[in-house]
Amino acid sequence: MAVLSPPTAAIESLQRRPLRLRRTLRLNLIAIPLLLGVSFVWAYPFLWVVSTAFKTQLGAFTAGASLVPSPLVTTNFVRAWVGAAFSDFFANTVVYSVSSTLVELTKSAMCGYVLARYRFPGRDLLYKLIIATIFVPVASIIIPQFVLIQNLGLLHTRLGVVLAMSGGAGALYVLLFASYFEHLPQDLFDAARVDGADFIQTFRLMLPLARPIIAVVVIFQFIHSWNDFNIPLVFTLGQPSLQNLAVGLQAFHGSHSLDWAGFAAGMTISFIPVLIVFVAFQGYFVRGLSGAIKG
Amino acid sequence: MADPGQAVALAAGEPPGATGHRISFRVGRDDSRFWIPVFLLPFLALYLGFTLWPLIATVIYSFFDWDGAQPLNQFIGIDNYTRILTDPLFWSAFRNTLLFAVLNTIIKLPLTLLAAVLLTRRWLLFKRFFRTVFFLPIILPVALSGLVFTYLLNPSNGALNSFLLEHGLLKQPVDLLGHDNTALLAVILISVWQIFGQYMLYWMAALQQVPEELYEAADLDGANERQKMFHVTLPLIRPVAVIITLLALVNALHVFGIIVTLTAGGPGRATYVVSYFIYTEAFREAPFKYGYASAAALIFAVLAFLFVSGQGLLARRAEQLRRQYGV
Repeated sequence: MAVLSPPTAAIESLQRRPLRLRRTLRLNLIAIPLLLGVSFVWAYPFLWVVSTAFKTQLGAFTAGASLVPSPLVTTNFVRAWVGAAFSDFFANTVVYSVSSTLVELTKSAMCGYVLARYRFPGRDLLYKLIIATIFVPVASIIIPQFVLIQNLGLLHTRLGVVLAMSGGAGALYVLLFASYFEHLPQDLFDAARVDGADFIQTFRLMLPLARPIIAVVVIFQFIHSWNDFNIPLVFTLGQPSLQNLAVGLQAFHGSHSLDWAGFAAGMTISFIPVLIVFVAFQGYFVRGLSGAIKG
Repeated sequence: MADPGQAVALAAGEPPGATGHRISFRVGRDDSRFWIPVFLLPFLALYLGFTLWPLIATVIYSFFDWDGAQPLNQFIGIDNYTRILTDPLFWSAFRNTLLFAVLNTIIKLPLTLLAAVLLTRRWLLFKRFFRTVFFLPIILPVALSGLVFTYLLNPSNGALNSFLLEHGLLKQPVDLLGHDNTALLAVILISVWQIFGQYMLYWMAALQQVPEELYEAADLDGANERQKMFHVTLPLIRPVAVIITLLALVNALHVFGIIVTLTAGGPGRATYVVSYFIYTEAFREAPFKYGYASAAALIFAVLAFLFVSGQGLLARRAEQLRRQYGV
């Protein structure tokens, strides 16, 4: 045997790769069934919502835990979209999410840039204030916000809701931008100055470099405002035409508490755009967040 | 005041004192005198209007008996405060909020870390798919996931009870949301399910910070997976872990939507939380009690701040001790 076998080094190099492959396979064979099981439980509420959206109203009630719609109908979507004005809720949600994301992004990028690269009177005070108020709970300042919007004559307007949604947040985003801009190499700024770039030109050169932070702010603020409930609820009380999906669907559920199929259809419509955003930007998300931590 | 700030500065990867060292006073043609205020304006205007002023106004309102309609002229001193401090509903809301925040954090952080570690293993197949699944619940508005669960947990025909009864795992249907001792726990678990993806992402971002070379070095030293976890990964992500914990606690203290739709504070007061208390007092039933709710909001903000910065202090103290003894 010993005579016939090839040199030991060669055996090892031949065996190492299959061994690693085998180990990978074994780990996956343990992990994947486990993850699939957990995933099913995890995704069950979603699967339930989507399948209920295709059930009849009676079927939604008698199906128990079953995920198979029989008979399968699509009228729920029409009823939800047209009959229950989900199209309005949807449009409002898009308006609120897109505008508040733009407002957040603009104001925090501009403020963070100036805080990081320029010295001006009150700068340290502003820094300290921002840091001190970063953890102020929404619930504890919503009354004065409401009174302010009322006094501005913006109560029950979309602008009012957008202002309230994007006004209180954003301190964290400013700090993210500030720290990122501050860690950009000084050489870049020197080069811009040598080339005679003025303030705005320099800013336009530097802004694209902050892409990871921009990605984080966009994704966070978009998802946050898409799902926001507290502010839209308070600022659109009694105004169904201004409500977003979260508030509108809740109201719909209150008045049509037996129409689970219609409700499920509305929900299915509501989460598809966010699902697309997430699947499309998933890679950006982790990398951007990681860049944000690194600063 | 310093602690959350410390945390954020840590998040940004630098101590707060270090800002402003490499400030350039002039960039190109010096038109910055004009542009600095312009760039600050959007943030400052909204910040003053929607954060600073509301904080001050909350303090002012809290000394008045005010329904928002009449002029603000019913000064009642500290009456609101004395009433709140003796209002049993506020204290049960406070207790529930703390319980919710602590249990929610204790459950979600280890589980999300575990998921993040598993879903970043190089050998794992179908990572994108599993990550998406675990992230899914967050794209559902919190308030709506509450409604879905009222159906799924419904004792008469909900999915959970149907399943358990069919398979003989239960003889009687259970009403998890209808009993004092299970309702809060059910709400906590649903909230963990809902927010899971967000914290999983935080951990994944933190794990990316650990340089690959360290793992390679550990491999050369013959370290196994468990040793790499406890001696390389965890020590290195500790600063970020402190921030994630603080964020988790603060976010959990704000719980609102899920309570409104799942239980409306019930059964009885078992899931009544402070943000729901404030909302109910201020906006739900006329006459609105803005003054009273403001006092509650203020007390809550102060207590929550003390609680959270206490955690931050503890974490920092532990870190100091660790450094001191070199462990």
